[in-house]
Amino acid sequence: MSDQSSVLADVRRGMIPAHLYNDRELFELERERVFGRAWVFVGHESEIPNSGDYVVRRVLEDSFIVTRDEQGVVRAHFNMCLHRGMQVCRAEMGNASHFRCPYHGWSYRNDGRIVGLPFHKDAYGGEAGFKRKGQRLLPAPSLGIYNGLIFVSMDPDAPPLEDYLGDFRFYLDYYTKQSSSGIELRGPQRWRVKANWKIGAENFAGDMYHTPQTHTSVVEIGLFREPKAEKRKDGCTYWAGNGGGTTYKLPSGDLDERLRYVGYPQEMVDRMKETLSQDQLRVIGEDGFMISAASIYPNMSFVHNWPKVADNTDQVLPFISIRQWQPISEDETEVLSWFAVDAEAPEEFKALSYKAYLMCFGSTGMFEQDDVENWVSLTNTAAGSMARRLLLNSRMGLLEDGTEVVPALTPDEFHGPGVAHTGYGEYNQRELLNRWADDLEQPVKAAVTMEVGYAEQVSSAQENSGPLRPVDDVAERAVEVAAPTGEQTGAGE
Amino acid sequence: MSHPIPTPVSSPAAPAVTPVDLHSARSVLGRSASRVVRTGRTLPFSDPRHLEASRWLVDEAWLLDAQAYEEWLDLLADDIHYLMPVRVTTALGAGYDTSPGMAHFDEDKYSLSRRVARFLTEHAWTEDPPSRLRHHLSNVRTFATAEEDHLIVDSAVLLFRNRGDVHEGSFISAGREDLLRNTADGWKLARRTIMVDDSVMRMQNLAIFL
Repeated sequence: MSDQSSVLADVRRGMIPAHLYNDRELFELERERVFGRAWVFVGHESEIPNSGDYVVRRVLEDSFIVTRDEQGVVRAHFNMCLHRGMQVCRAEMGNASHFRCPYHGWSYRNDGRIVGLPFHKDAYGGEAGFKRKGQRLLPAPSLGIYNGLIFVSMDPDAPPLEDYLGDFRFYLDYYTKQSSSGIELRGPQRWRVKANWKIGAENFAGDMYHTPQTHTSVVEIGLFREPKAEKRKDGCTYWAGNGGGTTYKLPSGDLDERLRYVGYPQEMVDRMKETLSQDQLRVIGEDGFMISAASIYPNMSFVHNWPKVADNTDQVLPFISIRQWQPISEDETEVLSWFAVDAEAPEEFKALSYKAYLMCFGSTGMFEQDDVENWVSLTNTAAGSMARRLLLNSRMGLLEDGTEVVPALTPDEFHGPGVAHTGYGEYNQRELLNRWADDLEQPVKAAVTMEVGYAEQVSSAQENSGPLRPVDDVAERAVEVAAPTGEQTGAGE
Repeated sequence: MSHPIPTPVSSPAAPAVTPVDLHSARSVLGRSASRVVRTGRTLPFSDPRHLEASRWLVDEAWLLDAQAYEEWLDLLADDIHYLMPVRVTTALGAGYDTSPGMAHFDEDKYSLSRRVARFLTEHAWTEDPPSRLRHHLSNVRTFATAEEDHLIVDSAVLLFRNRGDVHEGSFISAGREDLLRNTADGWKLARRTIMVDDSVMRMQNLAIFL
């Protein structure tokens, strides 16, 4: 492995070695040091509302069955049979009380405990040879939930999800907590693009500068009320905790008028006023900013926009998408794009918001079509030796001596946490890549191994700090219900 | 000419998954789409209705290859529902193989017209330079309906799309069910359901039509 210290030093001063968008060695480092420790989004509780519901999601190559067990606890099981390593669940989604491996028939309850081991006595001499009791599918090292969003981390000692998200939770609520019921998530659409995963994350985090150029066409066809895409510079970009995003500046008006301006019906506005904090409401009602795109380090993004969804009307409809840039290799990414909508929204709103989403983002979205074209092209160009001679300038918003072109907004101008700037800037892309540089510098600890059939759950330490660590009320309630079942009950059936 | 081969679609056996003509009715935005369904077995290949439907599909495929999207839009009925569900891998017996409440396309004439209008601007970068497209069409089966001026046509389509010089091309394989309506202005597409054979699409975007 080459020494990457000069790459990281360049990144930290906002000069980007162009090859980092297509570099195998860096990708191997990212695999270990970014995705070996970060909290990675795997799904939302609304995708698995009932006991036995599951979706199968990956963190790089690692497949996890994300399921709700019979006690209502959300779990993420490594999708590998404890016997010969076969994938125990080969569907993407469904409902199952048990998972049975097709190879030799070992079966597991949906809480992960092994329940069926054919010929246990004849083959192993029973418990004396193979301790079935207490064995379970390997859980994700850490699992956390915020506003129903389920994350896993490969690090058993990961900081609590709540701390990892930090002040970005303030902004996350706009996307995922417009009422006390939170969102329902639909999808994802999945497709693979020959682009490096970091490009999408950077773009959604703060690239308001690309909008006037890349997305000219969607303005030209009358999808938006605002005639000019240049409006972006009046909005601000903010960074807080482990994420950041962009906003649009809204026309003057009070909170209700501004929320109705982007297309929320009054009943949804009323629920937002009950659910969001005073400061969250001030950002919209007093400061006049409305959230647009955002990213959480490393590879989760959000978007909120409000196009017209019918002819001959000025009425616009807001939509929310949640997406993940799942790395496949240094030059390929699987995009998972979900549609999110407030669970309490009127059905008609849900339908039209979904229509707005399909028109703008996702596999067929008219914004997304042009974004991906650019990112594939960038990745392709970054592969060769010439890209190694180029340090791209990612210092927009800064003078050469580090002075900001436009000073940060004051607490009176912007009531959200973190740092916010209006005008064109690449503050958030730098924030994102600085975290990337910090991670790449730090090796991860060797993982604990679990010996199948002998040791009493070597992984019990992870277990305790993992799936049973709630960070929101819903999970807390679920854990209370689940606690009495313990680890051992029923394992010997 | 006799027709000894039974038509699988009209078989009375319980379907393992949602019949193709029900996807439109169950989709989020398909509520107002025409609900005309097929009757009986496939029409003989010599039937003038089958010949007309086949010709229509081949002509349409040519328009899509040529990206002559304005002309293509004229072939669509004003009440068209254009649906491409997201396919998911589910256990045999799950009873569904599409993502509930999600699709790649779930379109009416307005949203399709915006997509076409965008391609006609000078700033739709994803198609400038344009892709080379070929819609390979096969397995055309035509069915009568209870209404004389409506036909149901099933077909298979394999789209090859190539962009630039050195990138490998990409494919989309799909089955389609179309509802064609005979109007004073010729045959119009009133409903299309595209059952794509990929769960994870291998094309950078769907800046194409099927």
